[in-house]
Amino acid sequence: MNMFLQELKTYRKSTIIWTASLIGILITVFAMFPSFAKEAEEFKKLLEGFPEVVRNAIGLQVDTMGSILGYYSYIFTYVVLCGAIQAMNLGTSLLSREVREKTADFLLTKPVTRIEVITSKLLAALTSLVITNIVYLTSAYIVATIIKTDDFSGKVFLMISITLFFIQLIFLALGMVLSVLLKRIKSVLPLSLGTVFGFFIAGMLASTTGDDKLRYLTPFKYFDTSYIMQNAAYEGTYIIIGLIFVLGAISATYYIYSKKDIQAL
Amino acid sequence: MNVIEIKNLTKFYGKARGIKDVSFNVEEGEIFGFIGPNGAGKSTTIRTLLSLIYPTSGSATIFGKDCIKFSPEIKKEIGYLPSEVFYYDNMKVMDLLNYSASFYKKDCTQRIQELAKRLNLDLTKKIDDLSLGNKKKVGIVQGLLHSPKLIILDEPTSGLDPLMQQIFFDLLEEENKKGATILFSSHILSEVQRLCDRVAIIKDGQIIKVEKISTLQENTYKKFKIQCASKVDKKHFDMVGVNDLEENDNVISFIFKGDINTIMKKIAEIEITNLWVVEPDLEEIFMHYYEKEE
Repeated sequence: MNMFLQELKTYRKSTIIWTASLIGILITVFAMFPSFAKEAEEFKKLLEGFPEVVRNAIGLQVDTMGSILGYYSYIFTYVVLCGAIQAMNLGTSLLSREVREKTADFLLTKPVTRIEVITSKLLAALTSLVITNIVYLTSAYIVATIIKTDDFSGKVFLMISITLFFIQLIFLALGMVLSVLLKRIKSVLPLSLGTVFGFFIAGMLASTTGDDKLRYLTPFKYFDTSYIMQNAAYEGTYIIIGLIFVLGAISATYYIYSKKDIQAL
Repeated sequence: MNVIEIKNLTKFYGKARGIKDVSFNVEEGEIFGFIGPNGAGKSTTIRTLLSLIYPTSGSATIFGKDCIKFSPEIKKEIGYLPSEVFYYDNMKVMDLLNYSASFYKKDCTQRIQELAKRLNLDLTKKIDDLSLGNKKKVGIVQGLLHSPKLIILDEPTSGLDPLMQQIFFDLLEEENKKGATILFSSHILSEVQRLCDRVAIIKDGQIIKVEKISTLQENTYKKFKIQCASKVDKKHFDMVGVNDLEENDNVISFIFKGDINTIMKKIAEIEITNLWVVEPDLEEIFMHYYEKEE
């Protein structure tokens, strides 16, 4: 419990900053919705002028852009991008921070097992993500209700929004397993930014080519917002793949970290 | 009873040598020195005892229990002070010590206050703002606050001024009198001599010798450097106990082992302008004593 609280305290600031940024992005773009909706037809014409490849790449669905859910799902792509960076950062730094700041000697000479160390850190990271998601979801829903032009399905809104958490889980797990696999991580940000953008660009490619195989490779495409809007359901295959990846990566983290030599300073 | 028993402990980092076939015991209630030049394997041995790293082969027990298998249990009674201390920078000294204490199921508040007062450590400061010596003090308090039965110190004196070093040694001796066993690693012979009962000497990853400090003290070496007023034949110092005799212009230098009086008399026979007598460092002792013995 002491380690959990300590970790939570460590990540308090970054949780606040990331949550604020997510909401910032959302509100800024949402604020434009009323004027956008008013002239939706004009915009549609304008957007249809874009080559289809480009529209696909940036995730524009012209037909649905006029509705609040359609508009939201477009912004949401970028909210998820931002959230993925947060989660990846968190995952990568959880264990590597102790090595980089040379505090591993302090923590691991205390009467605790390495399993307990990982568990406390993982739980703290999850708590931080859950807090981010709850705050984000609440504010997003409130803003959407204020600016809506037509009624929208709360359930679908929730279903889209909560995929932020799922994708964050995937990147948290990815960050953690990378941090124990790589020998020494000098700086977290370049690694996590690089990885997240890599996947994001792969996701854009997947959209332009419509290649289903590419979809498997990038978590950003596991939850297709237009599919969710049409069916009010997720695609089972991708949920399973995501779940397997998260469980696999976290088990690997436990296993590798328990066996790992903590190098001298 | 042995508090620490190390049996054929071997650790390779890939192909690079860490330690090879290290075996020695530390008895309950003693202050045991662990000495060797930098890179000899002192830290590797200690880190294996603390299960920060895992041995390639061999084993070690602490309090009669395997140091890897029962690691969390054993660590309840171990206080560890690493050579370089780094702590969570955004914490205050008191926060860190409380965090450290929270791992042990006992109230350490009073002990923290006591130790901080002895070491003259300001508990309200941020660790970030502390000097190296003061960070070291945080390390000492952190290592002793739970009154451990075994204290493991890995080159603990770096960064401490002589006065603090004295207080630190006093603290260790008090803990020892209360029953704590101490494993003290260092590359400075004199501090080990000052404090320890027995010592293990490690070089190139292998234990060369485990002996009593009293035996080691009989073999005290002194390094002499003599500046003469005029040219003196270096043969003047060609006598038993003199090693590594060198002459450079009017400066004669050598390493001496034996009765200090005989050499002083010898020096008195000539006209000198300056004289340095220093403790040879470990490397030099190894070169002139241990290697010859093998």
